[in-house]
Amino acid sequence: MATVTNWIDHLNKPAEEVAGAIYPGAGSSETLLVILGFIIWIGWHILTAKSESDELERLARKRHSANDHRNNITEW
Amino acid sequence: MTDQLGALTTIFTEFYYWVTVVLMFLIHVGFCMYEVGASRYKHHQHTLMKNTMLIPLVTVTWFLFGWWIYWAFPTGPGLAPSIMNESTALITDESAFSATWYKATSDLMAVNLGDHISGVFWAAFLLFSWTAASIVSGAIIERITTFAFGILAIAIGSVFWTIDAAWGWHFDGWMLKLLGYHDAYASGVIHAIAGGFALGVLMVLGPRIGKFSSSGEPRNIGPRNPWLVTIGLFLIYTGFWGFYAACNIPIFDLGPEYGMEGISYWTATNIYVTPTTLSGITFNFLMSLSGGLLAGYWIAKGDPFWTYSSGLAGIICASAGNDLYHPIQAMIIGMIGVVISYKLHYWVERKFKIDDAVGAVAVHGYAGFIGLVICGFVLNGYPSSGYSVGAMWDGTTYATINPLGQFLGALIMFVVLGLIPGYVIAKVLHGMGKLRIPREVEIAGLDYEMMEDAKRDERAVSSATR
Repeated sequence: MATVTNWIDHLNKPAEEVAGAIYPGAGSSETLLVILGFIIWIGWHILTAKSESDELERLARKRHSANDHRNNITEW
Repeated sequence: MTDQLGALTTIFTEFYYWVTVVLMFLIHVGFCMYEVGASRYKHHQHTLMKNTMLIPLVTVTWFLFGWWIYWAFPTGPGLAPSIMNESTALITDESAFSATWYKATSDLMAVNLGDHISGVFWAAFLLFSWTAASIVSGAIIERITTFAFGILAIAIGSVFWTIDAAWGWHFDGWMLKLLGYHDAYASGVIHAIAGGFALGVLMVLGPRIGKFSSSGEPRNIGPRNPWLVTIGLFLIYTGFWGFYAACNIPIFDLGPEYGMEGISYWTATNIYVTPTTLSGITFNFLMSLSGGLLAGYWIAKGDPFWTYSSGLAGIICASAGNDLYHPIQAMIIGMIGVVISYKLHYWVERKFKIDDAVGAVAVHGYAGFIGLVICGFVLNGYPSSGYSVGAMWDGTTYATINPLGQFLGALIMFVVLGLIPGYVIAKVLHGMGKLRIPREVEIAGLDYEMMEDAKRDERAVSSATR
């Protein structure tokens, strides 16, 4: 997975080879990483949309008045 | 890099953009403080988190596709040929500055010893994206769901503003060539579009409960904490310095760039690669801020909320031409923008029952729009690009800056890429029942359960004996 295993050897290469990507899996892992990025992004929306809907529904059922929250103002 | 002077120039440029990113981070800190200060106590925590979460959402999508859009869309597509490959198609070939180098899978979108600029330039634009989304965030507080805001933030931050930047802010953009569009510090490409987008969303979202009386008279709600609001705006001013610097290229040799044989001319340039100076835009930044503050204090009768916002509106209004204006011109333009925006805000509120909680549509949208139009008159006849001067690229010419082009450009920013997409996406979210929080929750307060839990904990702790 390591793209560079010896810095002296790496910097001794021709300039066009030195000037390149040095992250793990360079040249072979990018597509997979981007697919993972999309899955994490979309997955986050799905997870949080559900929890937000549940929270809003629960709170809406309680029908508090506009000033009820004042009883919950903490002093610490 | 093996040449010391070349390395110095490159690493200076890399560090320059990096510093602008750090400074621009303060814009977001300011927006968060400002929104929390403007919201009521029972909504504070959700308001803060709504704005905070646009950071990761816009960042991830900006990496996945937003940055690619900027480099792919300068031609429209189909509206004007690129000066790089003379095609009107999306720029996805192997030419210089093609979008193909900025796909999420590109090895330039990572640590790469051959590229010291892509990451910091990407980040500078990303911070503009956060700003666009954050402008929308303030207008719609206390009644939108976090889910809906997340979708809207991605739409404005990673799609629509980046299209407008490709069209009107890219050196190869079709709006420069056909309209002579000029918007050096983003009166339109950030502010008018975000203000228009916010207005489109507000038209569907509706006002906060209690904002209008039964007879339709508007009531003032807040700000709940004017000190947090004003400190937030001060931080936005501070971050704006980074914004201005990030819109420049710090050091560039224009001679070879314009195809002038044997001529070397090193200078700072604006985003269009035409010459300006960091020193000159500093005059104009401060004078337009001052113009905005002076006019705001006068028209709002010393109200701190509007006076601070007017300082910002003054800069925004003059930004389109602040690379070339005289400082007194910048000041006067800032004053004009503030007076018109302030009046328009209250007229629209009364006439159309639009509840813009923080005046974002006025400060960003109207001021940005007006600034673009004024720029067309004051800079009438200036070249919109340097590339047409040296005829470096065959077959391509650029229109000069002109009033009609700027007016059309303002309409494209505010209406075509701002208001219409904002309205349509909000309509879709509304149709899904996902746009607005339930009425009962808005009355109780979004933070009700969190506050209740905290109170329960407080009681338990205070009665604890060990």
